[in-house]
Formats: sequence, structure tokens, C-alpha cells
Amino acid sequence: MMTESRLKKVLQSGNFAVTAECGPPKGADPEVIKSKGKILKDYVDSVNVTDNQTGVVRLCSLAACALLKAEGLDPVLQMVTRDRNRIALQSDVLGASALGIRNILCLSGDHQSFGNQPQAKGVFDIDSIQFVQTVRTMRDAGEVIGGDKLTEPPHLFIGAAANPFADPFKYRAARLATKVDAGAEFIQTQCIYNLDRFKQWMDLVRDSGLDSKVYILGGITPLKSARMAEYMAKNVAGMDVPEEIINRMKSVPAKEQRQEGVKIAVETVQALQAIKGVHGVHIMAIEWEDVVQQIVQEAKLFPRPQV
Amino acid sequence: MDQKNAGLNISIFFCQQIDPNQDVNRRALERELGNRIRFFPLPCSGRIDSLHLMRALESGADKVYVITCPEGACHYREGNMRARKRVAYTQGLIEEIGLEGERLELIMAPAGLPVNIDELARDLLSSEATTGPSPVRGKTA
Amino acid sequence: MITAERKPISEIKEMIAPYKKILVVGCGSCVAECASGGEKEVGLLASALRMDSKASGKDVEIKEMTLDRQCVYEFIDQLTDVVDQYDVILSLGCGAGVQAVAEVFPKVHIVPALNTTFIGQTKEAGLWIENCRGCGDCKLGFFAAVCPVTRCAKGLFNGPCGGSKTDRCEVDPDVPCAWQLIVSRLEDMGRLDLLCKVHPPADWSKQQGKGPRKIYREDQRS
Repeated sequence: MMTESRLKKVLQSGNFAVTAECGPPKGADPEVIKSKGKILKDYVDSVNVTDNQTGVVRLCSLAACALLKAEGLDPVLQMVTRDRNRIALQSDVLGASALGIRNILCLSGDHQSFGNQPQAKGVFDIDSIQFVQTVRTMRDAGEVIGGDKLTEPPHLFIGAAANPFADPFKYRAARLATKVDAGAEFIQTQCIYNLDRFKQWMDLVRDSGLDSKVYILGGITPLKSARMAEYMAKNVAGMDVPEEIINRMKSVPAKEQRQEGVKIAVETVQALQAIKGVHGVHIMAIEWEDVVQQIVQEAKLFPRPQV
Repeated sequence: MDQKNAGLNISIFFCQQIDPNQDVNRRALERELGNRIRFFPLPCSGRIDSLHLMRALESGADKVYVITCPEGACHYREGNMRARKRVAYTQGLIEEIGLEGERLELIMAPAGLPVNIDELARDLLSSEATTGPSPVRGKTA
Repeated sequence: MITAERKPISEIKEMIAPYKKILVVGCGSCVAECASGGEKEVGLLASALRMDSKASGKDVEIKEMTLDRQCVYEFIDQLTDVVDQYDVILSLGCGAGVQAVAEVFPKVHIVPALNTTFIGQTKEAGLWIENCRGCGDCKLGFFAAVCPVTRCAKGLFNGPCGGSKTDRCEVDPDVPCAWQLIVSRLEDMGRLDLLCKVHPPADWSKQQGKGPRKIYREDQRS
């Protein structure tokens, strides 16, 4: 019997979804993935596996998803268009479905100049929106680009990313509409620290009626230190960390800053639950997967629904 | 280096705005030193081109000066600033073939124009040399 | 125009090292406009190479010549009478020029002095920017005359990406975000509607589908 996306079922049943991120190791050791999976299992509905995030070579997302699937998790395969042309992308989409992976997040990917292969040729044969459309057409029409029929379509719940904080701000909601038109069914957003701006963005989203067409999961990244907050504010593209968050992190002694970061994260999760049109959270605790349990518990989102 | 510039072949490109009598003033020195000194008056130092500097070096100059008017005094507003950029570019070029960048030097005339180009040149000739004879002429001269 | 930059002299020296009689050949078209391969740059490079060989006591003859165009036979033909006198041509043409000359004189050694870089615009004196990739399928009409293929680091047809902040590209803060430009220009023109549709995957076969491209026009042939 064919399995279904747990993420999709949780969202369709009206529950507030929780997903988390799992970064594959810079090596071939499957145990790293499995142990991260064990930490996250039961506390989240689905786990995103990043695809050579920030352009750094890591164990491949598809293989890591298969490992997590075998451990009983519901993986979300992240795929970037930076490294593969349309032939490879479509082929991997079919492979993912065959392995029982049921969720995909279509991204363009961090530019290769940021990673450890800055001399690589960026592929960008298609962009993230075209990729969403491609997967959607493969699934719903059973066709690859160009119209050739598939013997069996891929079975995938299709997601995309959105950054409510990047410029041009006014155009951001329109861009989300384009992603939804292209076929995105769920959206995971950039980390939210500036709640006011996120709310403004959600206003635009609701004004365009998008909240009823797509599930929106707000991005959460707990801060480890005041320094991390400052670094992200200054150096991470498309990140909006307001001064007041940095000051709040600075206001506590260094050894309590992690705890403060968790507190901010929990408060943000709770604030997001109160915003109409937000259907869940996506927790990206980079190399800090065990904090996910704490956030989920303190935000009273544990236990996860059985669907 | 204890050598004075006076022993070298010198080319001087200069803005003629700094000395209205340059045509007369430079004659004595030219007679005195013959081929070892060559003056190239320019309507503005901004007219200097990298090619002029290269040609000067190639034809045997050990040291090439570009004398501009004082800062802020350029008759054509920023000709002297342009001259500085051209000299810098050409320094980079000659360094690529192993010549010292100091063989090219930009000098700003002292404030309070006009100056006497002859006196200015004599000052330069009597200053400490930062470079010796150019290897470009050395092997063939 | 096609833009180019001079190679480091050390690299040029290595390529011409085996030769004694060298003709430095410039091109009066694109590379003259971008100050890398015109008559003046030929003069600078030839002068530098002559000085270098003199300083190292080598007996090398280096002469200069600049063609109006290095990529068109009628102009390349100016080399016909002189080319036999040299061991090598050091070309300051773009890659197209170097290859065109090589094709006309199959036995002549020819090496490039420039790195050909991009199709671009002289934005201001001393500043050239890339703004066309020659993709063979121009979509500028949809993007307010700002090319996303060339000027967006990720070449997004449905941008912007999530990294643009205060109108700068995340990849290089010196570069304006192409998509910010597209959105604001379309907004000024009242044509934001152009961004409502999803632009389908590009047809890259028009750029590199079957190897090098050609344009064949019967009406232009003699």
C-alpha cells in the first residue's frame, strides 16, 4: 500500500504542523542522519533534508531522505536547481517518489559562490518556480517538461520557500501568488525574528486570498548567542534580525543566551499560532537538533497528532 | 643608494600652466645636459598617456617625472588627478615586466604658482636617486 | 560590444617565449572601445614586451599593427603581405578575432593576449558591465529591458530570490539586484501585470543546443 505524506495529512486535518530541518553530514556516515532522525522523531511531523546547503558539499539529500524514511520519519526532500539541470531534477523527483519520499521542497539554492566550491558552474537551468511547476505537472498530468508521458507519476506533496523579509517587500506577496499558481501546496518561510514585518506580509497574503490556497509554515531558528544574532543580521542574505532581538540576547549573560534564544523561539511559535493563515512552523536548528524537542514541548505542541 | 638623479637619463613631462616661461626657462638645462634630460611640456598633465610614459622608458629614460600643478589648482579642474591615475596604471604595467614602479614618479608643483621649471628640474636632479640606470638601456647602451 | 582584459604579462611571455619575430596585432572594434585591444593597447603591450626582452638581453623583434576588425576577412587580409615575416602573431582581438585570423592563415602561430570576457555596455568611462549572454531567445520585452539571465546571479526568470536586500544582489553587494530593477521599472511603467504569469523554462537549445551556433542568410551571400 502506498504511504502518504504525513505533513499533508496533518495540515489537511487542520492541525498546526511542525517540521524541522536536518542537515546531512560532510561525510558518508549514515549514522549521523539516523541519530538526528531519532532526536526529531515523535516531536515533528516531517523533517526537511537540506540539499548541499550554502553550496557546501554534503551527503546527498535524496539518500539522507531514504535513510530517514527507513527510520520511520516523513522526510521533505529539499532540491535546488543550482546543481542539476532539468533532466537530473526530473529524474531525481521520480527516484524520490519510488523510494517512498512524499514531500519535496523546490528551491533555487544558495549561490555556489558562498560555499566550498566557489569555482563550480551554477546550473540554474530552471528556477525554483519553474521547478515547482515541473513537479506539479509531473504529478498531476503525468508528464515531463515537453509533454512526454510518465508510466507512473511521482507522488509528492509540493512545497516552496518564501522570504517575507527580502526586498522588494511589496512584491513579495505577489511572488508568493506566482509560486502558488505554479503549484506550490505548502510554503516554508525564512526565519522569523521580525514579527511585525511578518504580520504585514501575512496581511498582504490574506488580502490576496493566498492563505486559503496554500499552507504556510513560519520559519523558526533559535538563536544560540547574541553574537549569532549579530552575525545573522549583518552577514546572512535576506535575514531580518531586529535590533531589539539582538539587545534582548545581549541583555543576558553569555551562558544563559542559549536559553534566551529558546525562549524567543517558543514565544515566536506561539505568536505564529495566533496569526490567521499560518498553518505551522518549520524549525531550523542548525547543528542543534536536540533543541527541537524543548521548543515543541514548551510551545505545547507535543505530542504530535496521530494521522 | 648614494647616487644622485643627476647621473641618470631623465624625462620630465610637465603641465605648462605651472611655468608660463617654460619654453625659455628650460633651455639652459637642456644645453647643459643634452640628451640626458628631455622635457615634454603638456597643455595639462591630464593629457599624459600611459603610452608616453612607456615610450620614454623604452627610448632610454631611467627615470620619468610627471609634474602636475598643485592640488586643486588644475586649470582643467582635475587633469592632475587623471595624471595620477595614469601614472599608477603604468607603474603596474612596468612592474609586470620587472621594472621598478619608482621609475615613474608624479610630482605636484608647490603651491604658489608660477614656478620656474628649470629650478624645479634642478631640484629633482639633485635629489637622491631611488633607482639606478634602467636595465632596458643597460644591455644595449 | 565584446569586452576583454589583457592577460598578465607573465602568461603572455610564456606563450611567446619560443618565438623571435613577433607581430602584435590589435583590433579597432569592440576591444578598442573597452581599452583592451586597440592601437594604444597594442603600443603599450608591445613597448612593455620590447623593454622586457631588452632588459633580459634577448634578441627579439616586436612589431605592431592594428586592424579595423579582426573578425572579418576583408580586414584580416591586411595581414596577408606581412604575416610571413613573423614567427607568431600575438593577437589583441577577442576570441572570435583570434580564431578568425587563425583560420585565414592556417600555418601561422597565433596566441591570445586577452581574456575575452562578456557582451557588455560602457556604463561610464572606465566601467564596463555585462548585460547580455547572447542566449538567442531575448526576453527583455517581459522584463523592462533588464536581462535576468545575465544580471541575476541565479538567472531567475521568476525572481527575485530570497536574498535581495536594499536593492543589492546577495552574491555581490556591488551589483544591483536585477529583479529589484525589473520590479521597480515595471511598476513605474504600470506593467507589473507582466510578472503575474509563470515564465516557463527557457529554451537553452538556442544558446548551446547543438554546439557552436551559426547564422545563415542566403540574401546576404554573394
